[in-house]
Amino acid sequence: MQQSVSVEINGIRYDEQVPIRMLLVDFLRDTVGLTGTHVGCTFEGVCGACTVHLDGEAVKSCMMLAVQANGRAITTIEGLAPKGELHALQKAFTARHALQCGFCTAGILMNAAEFLKENPDPTDDEIRHALVGNLCRCTGYSHIVEAIRDAAVEMRK
Amino acid sequence: MYPATIDHYLAPKTLQQALEALSLQHDGDAMCIAGGMSLMQAMKSRLVRPKTLVDLQHLPGINSIQFSPDAIAIGAMTRYAAIARETRLHGAYEALNDAARHVGDRQVRNRGTLGGSLCWNYFAACCPATCLALGAEIELASLDEKKSQRTRRIAIGDFLKGPLETARRSDELMLSIRLPAPPRNAGSAYKKWGLVTDAFPVVGVAVYVEVNASGACTAARVAVCGLVSGPKRAGSAEKALVGKSAKDQGAIAAAFQAAARELDVQADMWASPDYRRMLIQELGSEVAHTAFQRATGRK
Repeated sequence: MQQSVSVEINGIRYDEQVPIRMLLVDFLRDTVGLTGTHVGCTFEGVCGACTVHLDGEAVKSCMMLAVQANGRAITTIEGLAPKGELHALQKAFTARHALQCGFCTAGILMNAAEFLKENPDPTDDEIRHALVGNLCRCTGYSHIVEAIRDAAVEMRK
Repeated sequence: MYPATIDHYLAPKTLQQALEALSLQHDGDAMCIAGGMSLMQAMKSRLVRPKTLVDLQHLPGINSIQFSPDAIAIGAMTRYAAIARETRLHGAYEALNDAARHVGDRQVRNRGTLGGSLCWNYFAACCPATCLALGAEIELASLDEKKSQRTRRIAIGDFLKGPLETARRSDELMLSIRLPAPPRNAGSAYKKWGLVTDAFPVVGVAVYVEVNASGACTAARVAVCGLVSGPKRAGSAEKALVGKSAKDQGAIAAAFQAAARELDVQADMWASPDYRRMLIQELGSEVAHTAFQRATGRK
């Protein structure tokens, strides 16, 4: 029922005993105390608010068990800008007013950060396609698309 | 929502360890978890309550695509994202690119695997029907009485049963999805229609054609998903496509009208039977056109 898990999160190693059925998102929030990763839909894996990086790739942390992360490296929103200066995406989201309530924002930033590594010069259509897994109920997405486009330009410099 | 209590979690590092874990379990007690994009939902909704989870993520050798002169072997743990990026499937097996590029979303494609999709065989999944149209063969491993590894190969049409059912025994592990070396002048395509972008298909159609030097079809396979009875071949459309070429638009449309009549379509909260028949016709004609273009090398 319990299982040990050893996982690196934002560069820090955590060794914990957890119930096998514990979701990774609950491990991050409740065991480790990193509450920037949000829980939106919790069940269907459709909202994307809990998106984190697993060995650099965007994944939904409600769709994984914590034990599946054993031996792997995770980056959460708290680790996106480790040196205290905001990530280009965070700056662009601020400048473009790409959030209102902000609940979905952490997940979108984590997804977009990996997307821009894969596709540094995306079209608006490609940005919109990349956002399929992230629900935002406030903004209507226009400002989010603009912010990701701006961040892409900034990151190519 | 939370999964029911899970007693054991195993993360085997070798195929032998994984097969031993599966062989020791009573039927249904242990489940393999690949990417978990279907299984996690099923566990959280308590549709399934495995006592033991066998995590396949550390198994070596089954998470990439191998190209050899006589076959293409897609490891069962190959993720959608890798299939979406793979350019060497173009032409004959491009339907797999079409399907993988629009499964779920980026986060799902980063985790979900082709083998997991086939073993789960959800009725509205893209990849089972696509592999059915491509004539794939499934390679399964298990242990014999002396705990030696043995493998068997089974045609995809025999592997896929009704929804959530396959011919895989609970002590077997899927190793690979095998496709014959692509014939010259073969093309395939897949397209789905869902309620929102990249959603589960209300209907999806996969078409594979081989053509001769003048562009006429010499062999065809058509498969449809979104049907409550599971992924199905449409034999009437396959027969009707033979001898036709891309310019025979009326005949291609008629082939998919026949498919729409032949297949058993259901009413549910997403679509009426008539709407599903219309989707089979419209998507089928479009997908066949793309498959012909790919077979003849035209874009």
